[in-house]
Amino acid sequence: MHPAVAKVDHIASGPTPRPAKWAKVIDHTRCVGCHACTVACKSENEVPLGVTRTYVKSVDVGVFPQARRAFQVTRCNQCDDAPCATACPTSAMFVRPDGIVDFDKSICIGCKACIAACPYDAIFINPEDHAAEKCNFCAHRLDVGLEPACVVVCPTEAILVGDLSDPTSRVAQIVHREPVTVRRPEKDTQPKLFYRGAHQATLDPLAARRPDGGLYMWSEQGTGPGDVPAGVAAPWNNTSAAALLSYDVPHTAPWHWRVSLYTWTKGIAAGTYLVLLGLLLGGVVSWSSALWVWVAPVVCGVALAATGGLLVADLKHPERFYLIFTRPQWGSWLVRGAFIIAAYSLVLALHFVGSLFGWRDLQRALGAPGAVLAVLCAVYTAYLFAQAKARDLWQNPLLPLHLLLQALIAGAAILLPFAGRLEPAAVPPLLGIVGAASLAHLLLVLGETTLPHGTAHARLAVREMTAGRFRTVFWTGVGLGALAVLVAAAVLGVLATPIAGSAAAVAALALVGLLAYEHAYVQAGQCVPLA
Amino acid sequence: MDTKALNQRVSAARRDAEARGETFYPGPSRIHLASFPPKERWDDWVELDSKAWPGRRVEKRYMLVPTTCFNCESACGLLAYVDRETLQVRKFEGNPEHPGSRGRNCAKGPATLNQITDPDRILYPLKRAGRRGEGKWVQVSWNEALDDIAARIRRAITEGRGNEVMYHVGRPGEDGFTERVLAAWGVDGHNSHTNVCSSGGRAGYHFWMGVDRPSPDHANARVMLLVSSHLEAGHYFNPHAQRVIEAKQQGAKLIVFDTRLSNTATHADHWIAPHPGSEAAILLAIASYLIRRGLYDREFVRRWWNWEEYLACEHPERPATFETFEEILRGLYASYTFEFASQESGVDAAALEDVARTVASAGTRLSTHTWRSAAAGNLGGWQVPRTLFLLNALLGAVATEGGTYPNAWNKYVPKPIYVPPHPTTWNGLTWPIEYPLAINELSFLLPHLLKDGRGHLEVYFTRVYNPVWTNPDGFSWIEMLTDERLVGCSVALTPTWNETAFFADYVLPMGHGPERHDLHSYEQYDGQWIGFRQPVLRAARERLGERVTDTRQTNPGEVWEENEFWIELSWRIDPDGSLGIRKYFESQREPGARLAVDEYYAHIFEHSVPGLPERAAAEGLTPLGFMRRYGAFEITRKVGALYETPVPLAELQDVHVSRFGRAYTRAAKPPDPNIVPLGSPEPDAEGRRPVGVRVDGEILRGFPTPSGRLEFYSRTLVEWGWSECALPTYLRSHVHPGALEHDQMVLISTFRLPVQIHTRSANSKWLDEIAHTNPLWIHPRDADPMRLRTGDLVRVETEIGHFVVKAWVTEGIRPGVVACSHHMGRWKVQGAGQRQAMATVTLGRAEDRWELRRERGVAPYASVDPDTLRIWWTDVGVHQNLTFPVHPDPISGQHCWHQAVRVRPAGPGDRYGDIAVSTQRAHEVYAKWLALTKPAERHSPDGTRRPYWLMRPLRPSRDAYRLPDRRTPEPAPVAGE
Repeated sequence: MHPAVAKVDHIASGPTPRPAKWAKVIDHTRCVGCHACTVACKSENEVPLGVTRTYVKSVDVGVFPQARRAFQVTRCNQCDDAPCATACPTSAMFVRPDGIVDFDKSICIGCKACIAACPYDAIFINPEDHAAEKCNFCAHRLDVGLEPACVVVCPTEAILVGDLSDPTSRVAQIVHREPVTVRRPEKDTQPKLFYRGAHQATLDPLAARRPDGGLYMWSEQGTGPGDVPAGVAAPWNNTSAAALLSYDVPHTAPWHWRVSLYTWTKGIAAGTYLVLLGLLLGGVVSWSSALWVWVAPVVCGVALAATGGLLVADLKHPERFYLIFTRPQWGSWLVRGAFIIAAYSLVLALHFVGSLFGWRDLQRALGAPGAVLAVLCAVYTAYLFAQAKARDLWQNPLLPLHLLLQALIAGAAILLPFAGRLEPAAVPPLLGIVGAASLAHLLLVLGETTLPHGTAHARLAVREMTAGRFRTVFWTGVGLGALAVLVAAAVLGVLATPIAGSAAAVAALALVGLLAYEHAYVQAGQCVPLA
Repeated sequence: MDTKALNQRVSAARRDAEARGETFYPGPSRIHLASFPPKERWDDWVELDSKAWPGRRVEKRYMLVPTTCFNCESACGLLAYVDRETLQVRKFEGNPEHPGSRGRNCAKGPATLNQITDPDRILYPLKRAGRRGEGKWVQVSWNEALDDIAARIRRAITEGRGNEVMYHVGRPGEDGFTERVLAAWGVDGHNSHTNVCSSGGRAGYHFWMGVDRPSPDHANARVMLLVSSHLEAGHYFNPHAQRVIEAKQQGAKLIVFDTRLSNTATHADHWIAPHPGSEAAILLAIASYLIRRGLYDREFVRRWWNWEEYLACEHPERPATFETFEEILRGLYASYTFEFASQESGVDAAALEDVARTVASAGTRLSTHTWRSAAAGNLGGWQVPRTLFLLNALLGAVATEGGTYPNAWNKYVPKPIYVPPHPTTWNGLTWPIEYPLAINELSFLLPHLLKDGRGHLEVYFTRVYNPVWTNPDGFSWIEMLTDERLVGCSVALTPTWNETAFFADYVLPMGHGPERHDLHSYEQYDGQWIGFRQPVLRAARERLGERVTDTRQTNPGEVWEENEFWIELSWRIDPDGSLGIRKYFESQREPGARLAVDEYYAHIFEHSVPGLPERAAAEGLTPLGFMRRYGAFEITRKVGALYETPVPLAELQDVHVSRFGRAYTRAAKPPDPNIVPLGSPEPDAEGRRPVGVRVDGEILRGFPTPSGRLEFYSRTLVEWGWSECALPTYLRSHVHPGALEHDQMVLISTFRLPVQIHTRSANSKWLDEIAHTNPLWIHPRDADPMRLRTGDLVRVETEIGHFVVKAWVTEGIRPGVVACSHHMGRWKVQGAGQRQAMATVTLGRAEDRWELRRERGVAPYASVDPDTLRIWWTDVGVHQNLTFPVHPDPISGQHCWHQAVRVRPAGPGDRYGDIAVSTQRAHEVYAKWLALTKPAERHSPDGTRRPYWLMRPLRPSRDAYRLPDRRTPEPAPVAGE
């Protein structure tokens, strides 16, 4: 818990001794779409251009002359069960006892896990201070007895703040007495931002058609790498009513190529160790094989170092990465993953020490914990991704298996060139692993992309992956993977002994294909608009 | 630092504030949280820094200084948070002490911060170095600029060319200061923007009630009828939106006429999207329904309409009874059936009948409002307010709770320190002889009038005005401004670059809203208040005990304010007082010294604002001190139906009552510190002044019209040659379907965006980020046959040229109509300019053919504000107004904005933002519309240029109204004729 929280046990001398539970009502029967809240918030919180803590989305619904413009004041939902706080590795995002989800920029490492986790796309990295931020109900104002800036500025009193525990507050009266809605209740976050009079066409981020031409009613959609434009391209609206997105702001995906690449290097680091252990246990190579003694610690170590490097480099505050270890928030899979990686790297380091001093028993003894850690290292990302509650593509129970197979493919593939030189006998089994794991992986991908999906979001993500923005890289990945299977099968089945270069070709196909696929998957998972 | 300890010192929450004996400002949430800090702490208020929060609780100390927003006409209150350490403004919030805006603001209020910190703003006086419009400037001293300009003005005045001095204002933002300056100079040099804006709206109201603006009491209405988009724009956006929504929440019905789906239309219980120009037909169909069904307020109509005058003039053969009138009234509007209105408007007749039923249910709680909208769009558009107000007049919803007031009763203009006499000259450039009934100056015809050889300008000031961009036919303005034979010296008084300033001789930086003094009052509910705009840093430093004698001492760079500028300029025009000008700008307290703004306003607040001195004294403040501290003062509320007030006996001496009940008196007019403009009906033949009207035997105050009643029948219109328009009626627009070619559509070019304001908000990055382009709204039914999709380029062809813009295909507009907001399309040629929202263009000219080509949009750039490197938008829209010819309505003088256009997919040579215009063609269109007029020289009933009773800014003396004697040949007309 954040140190400041202890002092905030009692907000500003409120009228009741009950524990406060701050909530807001956005009354769209009153909102006239003037954007005063947006600007007052920018002013109060000194929010730079290009990012917003709150904005007013609008959707034009209907057909002339029966049409209307539906507004949605769009911002943090102050969830009771806040996925951002759960995902935050350092408690920089935290829930105060009074229910406000606040943040402390001084301890934010800029990992963007909160952004990935938020089902409402309400968090962003401030380009000035590189820390995550969002609406915090103007907690700095509440604590000196003032209403939030957006509440005060609103010409039509469409934004109210109040204590849900206080039945005399207007917020409690509206929430408890009137038909109100929240955004995406299926995400199980228990929002404390209630909408009165909101339209389904705005609440559902996939209900409105995105206009052509990169344009909204009076603004550009904004285009750049990693952008996730709001709305959906026709004819994929999630409503049968005519609904056209008429205003929104630019959105971006939190995790870019570094995270795609990290899943790949991590796969190599984990898979190499696991595959070698398999070869050892299967008697293909001996405990004194150079593959085990030298290749394992060096390749895994380098790949794991690259993994760590990528993770740190992806932080907006890389110099603060140590905070993951000094103030871990154990609910975060980023923290758990970091400790897994750290433990795994410790095993690898000891393994390397054993190599230097010829301590084979130590290496053998490390095998069991090493195997466990390697598996964890491979699969924890599935849990990390699953903490991104609204990235439906990633809510896949088979994702750990995916990742494990990916690690085996990568490990076996990376070992092939070494085996060719150091342990030729290991080449056929390695080819077999690459081929078999790739085939299994392709089957999983086939299932993932062809089975109907439970949610429109997952369906849209798959469509973007296979037929949309990421189709080239996706089909490159799938194609190279399939080619790797075919070549491996050909080498094993047709040629009795692998000819020079064929193993390397399989390795290259498998590794490049894997990287391409992982990139498509990581990016497609984030390409569905959430707001 | 401990929050509880902090709270004991600074919390604004109810219990803490009240425990300290301080003011608690309840917010909309109605909980213990305040919306504003207690006013007792406005000298030193502590807040926690939002950026350091919550890691560090950094206390920031602020002085809260009120001022007034200058981003639209609403004049909402602002509170500047002046950091006590840096003495810079940290933010602007609303002012809870402001009765109009009640502490709330639209987006443009807090965005004021962007304007004062705009890296592209003009900080020093500049003088043109190259040719006009070449973009070369040198910095000059204020002294040099003032001396040059003053010498020119002095010469013009002493040589009898005083009317060659013209002050052309867009948003005045103040009541009376500058008109007083011009009166002191003795020149008829006031020119406004009003005829490209609200003259149509004003005319319709003025002919009814002698006051040219409505003041709807939305908050108490049962039914609100807006022919406008007042929930997002217009007079008065934020103050009215608050009250409209308040009434809606209490169950009032909202009817909105708007051809496009505005934010206002979306809130309407009845959204009527008529064919542009048919609004009056619908309103008359509603009126006809009320009349036909006998649903109107008979007593009100009998008492307050000038029906007797109507019968006497138009039906002298009929018995002069109210029943006769009712019978005639039924006949007059019988043909305005819902079917007829439906045919004209394209709106389903049943929907119109629904609206009529809703209107009928309002009783006296019908608040109606129109201002620009249809009144500013159409030939004869001034009949839209005339027919709209007819509904109020039928229901008796005039100055009732929830009804519509004449604005003058909800406005207070305090009398200033000196009142110079009326100028004795008439300026034919602003009030040409062809437009005797124009409600305001024919400002937008200026280039054409000058081209016609009607005069010359020695000094031409523009202030918060950008005619090259705002007015129709901007290329003709460029031709005028760059022709030194027509304009001797043009001076742009502006805080920021604009398209007109590029062609000026001097660009003189004047303060933004929080950097200047102004006093104003606007009708936003049934009450009267004044608002005080002040330079907040000056006020802050004075609070800290510093003595500030000139606003430049606290403004950035050498930015000044007009109040002090006019006083100084007037001294330099008449340094020794020999012209009789200087005396109006001299201190009373310290004769021989310049009048200081402090003294100017202190005098007003001490002498002309009832209740203010007492209220100030109760707080231990001087009246000026009170206004500096709170920024606004409510003089009264619940003014009520003043017309029903009996005239006091003291005002009734030697009373004469005319045939129709107009009462005249010999009693002098009691002094009234409120000099709000009103109609000024003429005295009777013996010189008695009109004082009231006899109704059922009692002399009541009535309305400031010639008859003293609501003028259903305007004798003025009849006498000046427009008898066909004398009653509320429907005039077919120049864009009526019958007037369009088969391939033409109507272009609505007047709509505003809720976050922008004309040319004044381009320097607000937060607003630009939200709205930065103006695609052409077009219905799929029109777009599909052309295979147009949103974002595709279209060429829009007007009578004089074309522009190329992107399409926005939407269900939010009537088929057959296209719409493009006028809030976009700013441009600069090169060099100086606003870089967040101005495209860089090249201007080409071959004889009368002009071309504007967009070279590039906006892009990130380095400046003192790191945010300018984060500009992510590139588009700034297209400047459509350049392609519009002038369309002066022959009666109101209003520019009729709607255009008949052809819309085609862009051709291969068309590029986004292309504009091409022929100014020769523009001049021909001007001549065509000029031919629609009924000039005073042929139609004046009494040898004057204009009915004296009509309102007029800077009204000249009575003699100046006399038409030149036609027996002596008139010399070629010049300004000041």
